[in-house]
Amino acid sequence: MNPLYHVGRYSQLMYRCFSKPQRTGVFVSQALKEIDRLGVSSLFITLIVSLFMGAVLTIQTQNNIENPLLPDYTVGLVTRDTLLLEFCSMVLCLFLAGNIGSNIASQIGTMRISEQIDAMDIMGVNSANYIILPKIVAVVLYIPVLVVFSMFTGMLGGYLIAAFTDIITTSKFIYGLQYWFIEWYVYYSRMVCVLFSDKSGRFCLYYCLRIGLLGLFCTWWHSRGR
Amino acid sequence: MIEVRDVCKSFVANELVLKHISTTFHSGKINQIIGRSGSGKTVLLKCIVGLHTLDSGDILYDGRSFTAMSKKEKMQLCSEIGMLFQGSALFDSLTIIENVLFPMQMFSEKSEKEQQDRARFCLERVGLYNVFDMYPAELSGGMQKRAAIARAISLNPKYLFCDEPNSGLDPLTASKIDELIVELTKEFQMTTIINTHDLNSVLSVGEHIVFIHKGEKAWEGPKEKLFVSNCPELDDFIFASEMYQKFRTTLVSEQSGQI
Repeated sequence: MNPLYHVGRYSQLMYRCFSKPQRTGVFVSQALKEIDRLGVSSLFITLIVSLFMGAVLTIQTQNNIENPLLPDYTVGLVTRDTLLLEFCSMVLCLFLAGNIGSNIASQIGTMRISEQIDAMDIMGVNSANYIILPKIVAVVLYIPVLVVFSMFTGMLGGYLIAAFTDIITTSKFIYGLQYWFIEWYVYYSRMVCVLFSDKSGRFCLYYCLRIGLLGLFCTWWHSRGR
Repeated sequence: MIEVRDVCKSFVANELVLKHISTTFHSGKINQIIGRSGSGKTVLLKCIVGLHTLDSGDILYDGRSFTAMSKKEKMQLCSEIGMLFQGSALFDSLTIIENVLFPMQMFSEKSEKEQQDRARFCLERVGLYNVFDMYPAELSGGMQKRAAIARAISLNPKYLFCDEPNSGLDPLTASKIDELIVELTKEFQMTTIINTHDLNSVLSVGEHIVFIHKGEKAWEGPKEKLFVSNCPELDDFIFASEMYQKFRTTLVSEQSGQI
């Protein structure tokens, strides 16, 4: 495979994709549909994954803290920061890249096989713009919302562990969550996921099997950015 | 009228799928491209509508060269083209009426009410009632083809292209689809090109036939001369089935005065 060939094709696709929509009303309607299809439908799975992430983090942190000098609320603090910096931006996005990527791939694959994309091209519709751009807009707008939702539910998962087990009291856990809160972490996390969403949207649409490479790139970017 | 001039097309270097094809498709007529599977019919049709770029040659739409057209002119031409695909190619996420509305929403300046009226008219014109809010997957194959025809004619096209409109349909439904295409062609004076290997369709509605064999135009002429073409490849194609072989025997007997 010639890399230059793919760079050229990808550039052409992006040029077609980011041209002005032929009808703004149709584009907005499509974008809203995609937000519902790709974003809102991922809410439940995000809830489940985040609850478990928060719960497991709390248990693991508590089990691995052996130093008696460390205060109990460290569990809440570590859970919060790990969720904000790693899990809710990176792990969730990697997970969503697979989920949303396969969704997009199956839809576009079906459209290509059943000649729906050809039908659009013959009508004179810019198929790249009509199909791809609303998806990119949807993931870029909605994944940060999912990330914030994941932050809350992840901490809720940790809280439930504190409430229903005796490894830490809820008051100490909440104190840890509130202790030395750095607001930048939330913005940083959302920036990472916006970049990830945009890239995953574009790359998935061009070449749906490149998610692994994409994850690697974003992990590198993530570690470099911090 | 559509003129095809010395068209060549290849997907792999030095392997021509279409070899120097030239022909003319007349307006108000049912033009048919026939040939065996893999002979290059669909590639030719897709070259004509601009889905494939040509290696060489030209396509002229009423004298307008397709290869010399600017992007804007091509867009204008697209609004004059309606196409019926082999598998209907209806957008499965849209309802039937939304499918018919789609080209109008993208290109027509009509008001929403006018667009709705036009979509309903097109659907009723092809004999579809009470299915407006259903999804393509909920319709039969024949109904999907009708809906696809309704979408194709929604912008009043000058050129109608049909890629195997009868495939996957029973003979009765297939003949109804053929009749519908003929009616619409005459009614709107369109230049219609149908890709098919269904001989019943060729014999019932075809007017001007182009036979493609291994990427080359092997024969061209009116339907009436199909059986006396003196083209061995066309004879092999037509008389492949037992029914037509018997027909040929009768025909030969008639000509030699034995009957």
